[in-house]
Amino acid sequence: MQLSFTRYFLLAVVLQLVFSELLTVNGFQPNIILLFVILSSISMENISRATLIGFFIGLLSDLILFNGSYIGLSSLIFSICAYLSARVSFNFVYRNFDLYWLVLVSLGSGLYAFFRYDFFFFNDILLFLKNWIFVATYTSFAGFMITRLFKVKEKVLEDA
Amino acid sequence: MAKIDLLAKQKIDSFVLFLCIFISFALIFTNNNKNVQSLRTSALDTFSFLYQPFNWLDNQLFLNKKLEVLSEENLKLNLENQILSSNKIENERLRDLLKFRDRNELDFIGADILSKGINSNMSSVLLNRGLSDGVKNNNPVLSSRGVVGKTILVADNYSAVQLISDIDFRLSVKIMPSETEGIMRWITNDTCEIVEVQTTSDVQIGDIVLTSNLSIYFPPNLPVGEVISFYKKSNSSNKVVRMKLFSDLSTLNQLFILRGDS
Repeated sequence: MQLSFTRYFLLAVVLQLVFSELLTVNGFQPNIILLFVILSSISMENISRATLIGFFIGLLSDLILFNGSYIGLSSLIFSICAYLSARVSFNFVYRNFDLYWLVLVSLGSGLYAFFRYDFFFFNDILLFLKNWIFVATYTSFAGFMITRLFKVKEKVLEDA
Repeated sequence: MAKIDLLAKQKIDSFVLFLCIFISFALIFTNNNKNVQSLRTSALDTFSFLYQPFNWLDNQLFLNKKLEVLSEENLKLNLENQILSSNKIENERLRDLLKFRDRNELDFIGADILSKGINSNMSSVLLNRGLSDGVKNNNPVLSSRGVVGKTILVADNYSAVQLISDIDFRLSVKIMPSETEGIMRWITNDTCEIVEVQTTSDVQIGDIVLTSNLSIYFPPNLPVGEVISFYKKSNSSNKVVRMKLFSDLSTLNQLFILRGDS
């Protein structure tokens, strides 16, 4: 469990770097680390542990992965998403796996956009929505590819 | 008893979430603290090696395209240089006649982009130049076409640049030839908005936007962009000018840092 978590975390970091350096679209890129936090927290029974892991991964990505100008923003978003992700009941995830992570990705991207583009949110809601929708769509698209390619649903449900 | 256990567990979960949120907000609001800044610069210096392979791969994959673009740009600049050289001689002669003070020569240093950051919308980049190259905080950063941002975090060998596309970036600019001053902020893609422009000012589509004399960090007359539209704001004595940046922020590769005393 510990080993596979570390292995998938490193894979997520590499994928994030690949997307950020080589596959940006119009300056936008998917948030693979957010996706990893959501997917890895679903199978965690201990909600506090999932929240803390989300917090530290956020801190790590702010410090090490050069996440723009703020420290603390990713840890805030990731801990909220990890908490919500871990709270869900197993039956719900089993039936609505894709729907569940998609909603959480949209929520995480929305929170990100809200804190980064608060100026747009209060002055030009269309630009705010454009930023949110673009990042959420790109992350969801990348998420679909990754969950299918690595058979993430089966692995998450096995762990749960 | 089981109910009490469950309640206690739920309370602990909520408490941990609240604690994480509290610490995150505390960090966000202390981003300018010296200790936090020095932690960030240390992390920048230590972990920049992570980007080297991707930067190398990026260079290899797009080398031909980059060469093509640079050759084209080189030709354009060569032609422009011919015209500017003759203008410079004439300008120097006229300045001499008017006994004008000599202007400071700008001191540029070239830098490669190591990373475009993992922020979901590109707002900062990491450069391979730092304190050891004479770079300081708030030094202007330009592409071969114009202003793209300023340094916000400088480590020994690396520096982080806040791009114009960062929502918090503001730049004091003037619109030529009318010399109308205003404050520029990013809107979307390569489009920015200039606010605080007087309604009476004579601004035309196609006018050139340069850095103004009022900026603390940017020297005057650095190219920024070109006016594409303008409109009057209702209930205001100001108008809003929309401009297109000269630099294409999505294809940045090599940048130039303007070293100064910031």
